[in-house]
Amino acid sequence: MSEKHEIATSSIQKEPAYTEAIRQPLDTVRLALGERVYVKLRGERELRGKLHGFDQHMNILLSDAEETITHIKFDPVTNEEITSKTTKTSEMIFVRGDLVILVSIPRRAA
Amino acid sequence: MTEISKKPGEFTRSLVGHPVKVKLTSNIEYRGILISLDGHLNVVLEDTEEYVGGSLKNKLGDTFIRGNNLLYISPMTRKK
Repeated sequence: MSEKHEIATSSIQKEPAYTEAIRQPLDTVRLALGERVYVKLRGERELRGKLHGFDQHMNILLSDAEETITHIKFDPVTNEEITSKTTKTSEMIFVRGDLVILVSIPRRAA
Repeated sequence: MTEISKKPGEFTRSLVGHPVKVKLTSNIEYRGILISLDGHLNVVLEDTEEYVGGSLKNKLGDTFIRGNNLLYISPMTRKK
């Protein structure tokens, strides 16, 4: 019983935040906790906000988030693509992981 | 020519630390240095550049890409 518990928690505790050897992609995201990140989502949606939390599915929790939605319309008369953007802000937003395409992490000050 | 592993997993792991091209199902391409990857093909790239239709659209720095969006990972020879 106690052994099982150890396995469940060890992966979190063993990773010091400043480690140079980043073994798993999720560890890189963990280093960005508390920083502002850029998240690209399916359906031409983008989010910028402070990363509060995430899990193995890439469900993401952001605060002070700004959502940018790009609408692309095709004008059949002029044969042109018309893009327009709308933005929404939210204090706290939870994003379902399967919508995530990428998470971009700001350069850490060396 | 150096020997290329027959196992996909070994091959992709051998690309860690090298410049790669990652193409997504949306036809967007990301180029950068492969930092790490896992069993879902989640990928982390450094100095990431976003290419749409062959032209550079964005520079993103360190980027985590969720594996389900991937079409392929391919090694890249650096152009100067």
